[in-house]
Amino acid sequence: MVMPVVYAQTTVNSATFGSMEARQMGPGTMSGRITAIEGVNDENAKIIYVGTAGGGIWKSTNAGASFKPIFDKYCQSIGAFSINQKNPKIIYAGTGESNMRNSVSIGDGLYKSTDEGDNWTKIGGLDSTEHIAKIAIDPTNPDIIFVAAPGPLWSDSRHRGLYKSTDAGKTFQKALYISDKAGCADVSIDPKNTNIIYATTWEFRRLPYLFNSGGQGSGIWKSIDGGTTWKELKNGLPVKPFGRVALALAPSAPENLLAIVESSNTGLYISSDGGENWKSQSATLNVVSRPFYFSTLVVDPFDPKRVYRPAFIFSYSVDGGYSFADANDDGGWVHSDHHALWINPKNSSHMWLGTDGGVYLSLDKGATWMFNGGLPVGQFYHVAADKKKPYSIYGGLQDNGSWMAPSSAPGGVKNSDWRSIYGGDGFWVVPDPTDPNIAYAESQGGDVNRINTTNFKSVGIKPEPSATDPKLRWNWNTPIVVGTANPKNLYTGAQFLYKTVDQGRNWSKISPDLTTNDKRKQEQEKSGGLSADNTSAENHCTIFSIAESPLDANLVWVGTDDGNLQYTLDGGKTWTNVSKNYALAGIPAQTWVSSIEASQFDKNVVYATFDNHMYGDHKTYAGRSADMGKTWTMFKSAEFTGFAHKIKEDIKAPRLLFLGTEMGLFSSVDSGNTWFRMKNNIPWYALVRDIQIHPETNDLLLATHGRGIMIVDDISTMRSLSADVLNKDVYLFDTKPMVLTMGAFGGTGFPVKAAPNSPSLPSIEYYIKDRLSSGEVKIEVYDTEGKLVQSIPATKRKGINKVYWNMRMKPPKTAAGGTKLDYGASIAPQVMPGNYILKMKVADKEYQQPIKVVHDASSSFTMADRELQHNTAMALYNTHEQLAKNVADISAKQKMLKDNLDKVKDTKVKKQMQEYYDKLEALKTELIPTKSTSIFSDEKRLRDEITDVYASVCNTESAPNNLQVDRAKSLQQKVNDADQKNATISKQYEDKIRSALIKQGLMKENVKM
Amino acid sequence: MKRYSMLGLIMVSMLFVGSLQAQTADEVVNKHLDAIGGKENWKKVNSMKMEASLSVQGMDIPINIYTVNNKQYRQDFTAMNMTGYTIVNGDSGWAFNPLQGQSKPEPMTAEQLTVQKDQMDVQGDLVDYKEKGHKVELLGKEDVDGTEALKLKLTRKSGSEVIYFIDPATYYIIRSSNKLKVNGQEVDQIANLSNYTKLPEGIVIPFTMEMPGAPAPVTIKKIEVNPTLDKSLFTIK
Repeated sequence: MVMPVVYAQTTVNSATFGSMEARQMGPGTMSGRITAIEGVNDENAKIIYVGTAGGGIWKSTNAGASFKPIFDKYCQSIGAFSINQKNPKIIYAGTGESNMRNSVSIGDGLYKSTDEGDNWTKIGGLDSTEHIAKIAIDPTNPDIIFVAAPGPLWSDSRHRGLYKSTDAGKTFQKALYISDKAGCADVSIDPKNTNIIYATTWEFRRLPYLFNSGGQGSGIWKSIDGGTTWKELKNGLPVKPFGRVALALAPSAPENLLAIVESSNTGLYISSDGGENWKSQSATLNVVSRPFYFSTLVVDPFDPKRVYRPAFIFSYSVDGGYSFADANDDGGWVHSDHHALWINPKNSSHMWLGTDGGVYLSLDKGATWMFNGGLPVGQFYHVAADKKKPYSIYGGLQDNGSWMAPSSAPGGVKNSDWRSIYGGDGFWVVPDPTDPNIAYAESQGGDVNRINTTNFKSVGIKPEPSATDPKLRWNWNTPIVVGTANPKNLYTGAQFLYKTVDQGRNWSKISPDLTTNDKRKQEQEKSGGLSADNTSAENHCTIFSIAESPLDANLVWVGTDDGNLQYTLDGGKTWTNVSKNYALAGIPAQTWVSSIEASQFDKNVVYATFDNHMYGDHKTYAGRSADMGKTWTMFKSAEFTGFAHKIKEDIKAPRLLFLGTEMGLFSSVDSGNTWFRMKNNIPWYALVRDIQIHPETNDLLLATHGRGIMIVDDISTMRSLSADVLNKDVYLFDTKPMVLTMGAFGGTGFPVKAAPNSPSLPSIEYYIKDRLSSGEVKIEVYDTEGKLVQSIPATKRKGINKVYWNMRMKPPKTAAGGTKLDYGASIAPQVMPGNYILKMKVADKEYQQPIKVVHDASSSFTMADRELQHNTAMALYNTHEQLAKNVADISAKQKMLKDNLDKVKDTKVKKQMQEYYDKLEALKTELIPTKSTSIFSDEKRLRDEITDVYASVCNTESAPNNLQVDRAKSLQQKVNDADQKNATISKQYEDKIRSALIKQGLMKENVKM
Repeated sequence: MKRYSMLGLIMVSMLFVGSLQAQTADEVVNKHLDAIGGKENWKKVNSMKMEASLSVQGMDIPINIYTVNNKQYRQDFTAMNMTGYTIVNGDSGWAFNPLQGQSKPEPMTAEQLTVQKDQMDVQGDLVDYKEKGHKVELLGKEDVDGTEALKLKLTRKSGSEVIYFIDPATYYIIRSSNKLKVNGQEVDQIANLSNYTKLPEGIVIPFTMEMPGAPAPVTIKKIEVNPTLDKSLFTIK
């Protein structure tokens, strides 16, 4: 039994571990679904905002050369975005995407910024609309705003329809409301007469096992009084019911309207009289494709005949939508599935397209597109890691296949380090722990493949039904799970659980139908409504989660999407269903068992998350059973937001738990009694779909559905922080022996944008209870003789601080002056293995810890090599300092001469002084560069010659070569010679000049030059 | 090192001993001014000399900052045996950064100069901010590394903006976030301020400034208030 740890006074919260900042790995390689794009109207369109399906809002201030996230503290699912172009500091963001696919997220209302996205406020009371499709601002009076809210997807709700504000978003009233089943999908304001408003309404509903687009509530509406009264437009349109309608007007001639009407006769309809009369115009494949998902239709700002249909592919028409041409791939493949298009109103050749795979730029009116790799908004479903050094990360994404990448790489992990290993939509990607060259990946509907990760050839291994089996039901996101007790076991599941022990060459069906097998939930062929849509996304009564106990390979847990949680104790011979038991703990029937975590410490302990959002219930359900699922305790926290995807027990400390939901990552260090949101450089409401902990590095790996993969390096401190430490003002943690290293990788001379690597140095960690507003924190390393070796820049965060000692000494004092930088002054020898003392001063208190530095015995860089390297480096270090002294002496003498030259009357003395000065100067110009006038003139003097070999010796993990060792000696000789030259010159002049100056009263006898 | 990043900014935050607009913005401003020694003490400051340093992997980089209120400014630093500087004198400004390979001072662009001049108010933006033509606005609270800080936005007369995050326990600024729009580029400059120290003149100044991404914090060693500063400091040699 795990005992909760009681924290007497100080509570753990998100700040406690705030310094453990996640590395946002992205990548931008495949990017993710884009839902809204708008730029500030000026010819260059420097400012571009991009709204995403699960990665918040990104802003570019340089026409797309770089983007940065500006919505990291809020809901990450963006449905609509709009700029008040009269005052473009004012922008609005509607949360909750309206591309109503099975995996669509949920919003929490409308936000406004009055400073270009730096600060946001929630406004308008639209918090329960869940999905917002469009925000239209009256171009003549920007206080008037219309918001089209389709409203909740999974339930009836009155929080839908067209909303209007006349006070810049402070308050909204419903302008058009149909029913609790039909919301508003689109709105346009006639730019020439802003009392004319067009809106489309949409009746739609998803169930976990069925989608319906269409109903009597769908329609096209027009108001000529600013949204007060409405008329339904019908003349020439197909018979109702309609599904989703995409509506566009031609900004240059707004009586011209186009609408793609999903209906029994889906197609593009046009009107040239403000919607009074319509006629059918076209029904090309791209026009009629998936109307619920592709709802974008845009007309050129100047040419009413030029129509754009970004949808399955990108097509454009020059004849008002009668015929369409398709964009080409000359600029590279254009990702399919388009949801946003922005045309620069000042230059209509310039446009941005948003797809399921990021943003594209066109400068030729949409004929050709260039991908922009700067948006790391990939929608991963799962993450896994292997045990390579550095380990690789694996994951699958919405509409973007399955990928792998190193977790660290020379120069950082770049977009180009990612490898596509399988196509389709990607979900689970699992490396084979028994075979480093194999991973398993899939596309939607359980299409499992065994992939050779050296050549990416794949073998389909999806289990097939036996002669007596019914049709197999595979979830959209079918689990592929490797055994945690027996890594040879590989599981997947339809309604039956399958297991293979030979990489999918032979499968065994090891369960009966573990689902409810409710036939009413198996009519996917009827899915879609007016347009058939049966892509396996609605497959139901399927296995969704699988967990083998790490303590017993015969104990396997299985969760289904229809509310069953079952286990076997005998490797699948018999099964026990515990769903009735957790119902007693408050879990509604038929919820998805979204994750199962069999404890690593106690066979009877199991954790699970339950996701009921597909029945309109967004509560965070996560719980624990300590008796094989007989009784359940649900975790409660006021911090929780979002339906639950994943619970993870730490692999070493049973009291440490992580919970990923649709709106955030949460952690508990007390067995789930209290929880805090993890804000560690992670968007606060990130869609956290999967969580893993690397068994060797102790890194926390997150699959986010909109911000790619994130890695929190080494969470060991979260395990070790005790109540005792928490209550101390300051605490310096023990430091493990530090292995000397110059890092895992060499530098690359070619800088490319990259995600950061894991730190190559071991950290030094300390805890500070409260913010220090006065007093300094100082950290220094001393050797055992008490000599200062190095000082380390300190941080002073509340909570855990992590700093790094580069395991080097302080650099030498090299010769001052000259006209060129001396890099030698920034380079220091690595310290030798041995014992050191870390001293930390916080205000007036001092804390100490011993640090042991060790040589890496496994390295080809031997201890003898290290000694030779250190001795050579130290010799050169001393050579530098000896030269520095000499140069300082020369400079001091020159200064004295210069200061007195004008004061001396005697011309003979004056002449001698000038001679003395010039000779010193001549010597100095041999020692340091004095003529360099640019970085392109490489003037080498003695100081630079020392630095050249000193830098080489200090900065490589290698013994110096014979010539470097010889060079160190000859440079020492040169420095000795220079000392001698200084002495010789001084001997010739010093006494004479000194006496003369004393005589003239310009110098006192006891002052040495 | 980007020209506008670390060194160019040191002044920005260190002299921002201004305050905020609080519960009402003005209440926050006043409490902040009280916390840092009071407006009257600050109004006596006409010039300042700061000696600071930055230690990068054990290499100490001394930094000196000299300011004559709203007139002259010099910041110099010495690294790897070369000294670089930024000088503003009236309407001209120069910068010399040998770390970027420059071998002689180069003139600032007009926009760089505007940014620098905004930072030369040695008394801080918030002392008599209204008279100076600045505006403040309280934007609520925001978590700064575990402290629920008051968030005060100052819009300077020049149009530039900064957000001060103020610890409601001390009314010290714990973070400043400057948004600079210079030469057609936008740069966010964030500085975390700590180690508040009271000077004999009664004013309280953060002696440590840490900028995210910089290799080490900048620490002030010594401050002289109202020193006489030789004109030659502000001329290009």
